[in-house]
Amino acid sequence: MSLPLLTKKVLAGAALTAVAVAAPFAAFGQDANPDAIIRIGSLYEPQNLDNTAGAGQGITEAFNGNVYEGLFRLTDAGDVEDVLVETYEISENGLTYTFTLRDGVTFHSGDPLTAQDVKFSIERVIAPESQSSRKSSLATIENIEAVDDRTVVITLSQRSISLPYNLSYVWIVNDAATELTSSADGTGPYRLDEWRRGSSLSLTRFDDYWGQAPANGGVVLTYFTEATAQNNALLTGAIDIIPAVQSPDSLALFEGNPEFNVTEGASTTKQLLAYNDRIEPFSNVNVRKALARAINKERLLDSIWGGYGTLIGSFVPPTDPWYVDLTDVDPYDPESARALLEEAGYGEGFRFTVDTPNYDPHPIVAQFVQNELAQIGVTMDINLITANEWYTKIYQAQDFEATFQEHVNHRDIVFYGNPNFYWGYDNAEVIALIASAEASETVDEQVEKLTQANRIIAEEAASNWLYLYPQIVVSRANVSGYPINGLNSQFFAYDIEKSGQ
Amino acid sequence: MTTEPLDVTAIRKSRRKLPPTLVAGLVLVGIHVIIAVLTLFWTPYGPTEMAGGRLEAPSLAHWAGTDRIGRDLFTQIMIGSRIAIMVGAGAVAIGAAIGVTLGVLAAFATRTLDDALAATLDILIAFPTLLLAMLVVAASDGASLGAAILALGIAISAIVARLTRILVKRVLEMDYITAARTSGTSWPRIIIEHLLPNIWPTLLVNFALQFGLAVIAEASLSYLGLGAPPPNASWGRLLQEAQGTVYTAPFGAVAPGIALVILVIGMNLLADGLRDFGDPTRRRSR
Repeated sequence: MSLPLLTKKVLAGAALTAVAVAAPFAAFGQDANPDAIIRIGSLYEPQNLDNTAGAGQGITEAFNGNVYEGLFRLTDAGDVEDVLVETYEISENGLTYTFTLRDGVTFHSGDPLTAQDVKFSIERVIAPESQSSRKSSLATIENIEAVDDRTVVITLSQRSISLPYNLSYVWIVNDAATELTSSADGTGPYRLDEWRRGSSLSLTRFDDYWGQAPANGGVVLTYFTEATAQNNALLTGAIDIIPAVQSPDSLALFEGNPEFNVTEGASTTKQLLAYNDRIEPFSNVNVRKALARAINKERLLDSIWGGYGTLIGSFVPPTDPWYVDLTDVDPYDPESARALLEEAGYGEGFRFTVDTPNYDPHPIVAQFVQNELAQIGVTMDINLITANEWYTKIYQAQDFEATFQEHVNHRDIVFYGNPNFYWGYDNAEVIALIASAEASETVDEQVEKLTQANRIIAEEAASNWLYLYPQIVVSRANVSGYPINGLNSQFFAYDIEKSGQ
Repeated sequence: MTTEPLDVTAIRKSRRKLPPTLVAGLVLVGIHVIIAVLTLFWTPYGPTEMAGGRLEAPSLAHWAGTDRIGRDLFTQIMIGSRIAIMVGAGAVAIGAAIGVTLGVLAAFATRTLDDALAATLDILIAFPTLLLAMLVVAASDGASLGAAILALGIAISAIVARLTRILVKRVLEMDYITAARTSGTSWPRIIIEHLLPNIWPTLLVNFALQFGLAVIAEASLSYLGLGAPPPNASWGRLLQEAQGTVYTAPFGAVAPGIALVILVIGMNLLADGLRDFGDPTRRRSR
């Protein structure tokens, strides 16, 4: 097979290469069946069908880019590209955006796309009752005006260079549509066929789609409550593909079997040991750097993910535009860790408690870290807590010394610019960089500022970033063309090809 | 047909001969007790030492293989024995102390108090042991071995108290108690000299059974992350950690499972054997 498969053998470079290749492998071109139905297995059934009504990540996976489109789209490589917007202009002061919509776009119901629909859709997301996770990032929107059928003008209260990125999460919905929690009317390449609650959701190719027709006839998402059942379904051929495999050991079933393809992309999920940077001894940069150097992260990653995953040395994953490899800032070096502790006045070591979520992989990661820190004389006690306790004790009350957590979002370095965030990192320069980056005049300027912020947090070891999770897709060998990074849980289905029946 | 005369020597003989279930139980539990004591002085590797590679198969160097972060599983399982026995013994001791006291009190109490106590015990027993234990652990400051032992001890005490109450009531109706009472023996003396000797064999059997159940309950609590916090190697936590790797390294789940089964079956056989040994009617039927 001559597919550029990204297995663990080519891992480190592959994650980056994968990012660069937008539509990965289009193999089996000759006998791909244009009417094939792609059967996707998922553990995340949506609560409802409306992403402003607390539907969960499952609805993004099923609908984003498939049933609904935004003015912009975040590609699998992490770039923002125009979709329903043809051109747009930004005023001199950066506060007025004039969007010209693409011509000839129709909704699944047959209604044409107009500026009114766009206004309606954005207002739905920023409405007081909206539960959209993007609501706060769109808070700078002051006014939305539909000038004519194809022109929308958005006025901001302050510059927001990320507006196109943030708008990529605003689905353009027909303003005449009702009951959006159980039905759908978008402009995407698929229309909703049927949702069988608790079981499956099927999408059919939309024949009047404005863009390129999908490479398949439709999609069925089958929902499982448990990973083993999902793996078995793939083994027996009941589904074609699993977009996100959560454990490396279930991969043993598929690796080396010519009937399956295993690909590794770059996820945005970061495993970290976050300190409460407000309190002693974690307010001391040398202590934080010592702890970063005391842990053999390569061995840790291998223990947890058996060869998958990446080390990034910071909080910024390779799919964020401000990524730089910072693994050299505090490499594994117990000798210098001890020296740094000495310098910080903790030559005798110290003792702290780490609140650890009681689900995998946190307890096992905690025990590994506990062993490593013992080598430099630091005693770490493990206190297991539930996910709810984590939320109330750590996220809300900020009553903790240190904790383990995984952070899943794309472009979330902004947390380090908020001194009131749970880890309480407070560096005036970083705060200023992150705040002014959003007010940048150009994307280049924004990238430059955030890259600089990224370097500073790494130099100061603001938290202990242990590793970046892999994003592993497993499919049957006759299926190709799928997204491999699955940023923010999205899974574009339109390029997927399937040969045979 | 002539009725067989009672063979007194046969009873004597059987009294000397231990029931095979008791012997088997003693052996199985004994293995664990010996291992538990041994861990106080020696284990093949350090308890948290990451001595090997990831998920190594059983070998001469690592008799039960290694876990994901390279710790020796045999060492972990040995320490698990100690934790299981500590939990079992601790929980039964607490359960016995509270349970027997409450049971005796209830049996002697006024009718209303007795009814109230009995109802309370019934409610406690109606709660699944695990749920009760989870409540206690949640109420205490974080999960710990002590909290788990206390929680299971409380759950056991309700069962012991109810059993004690019934046993005491039955004995109190006996003629020899009335005889002792009329001859002026004080209540404390009656309890110590007549009551307890007559109820302890049944209680002892129950304690052995509760020990086995407590070991399983602690494994369940640790499996849920509510037992002894890491790096204490409870079998439940070993099972939980091995769950995700059961396809690639099945021994990680099988080995602590076997250890758990041996101890629990051993405890149940021991309980069976004790009952056979301590019950005169059964002895006669042999």
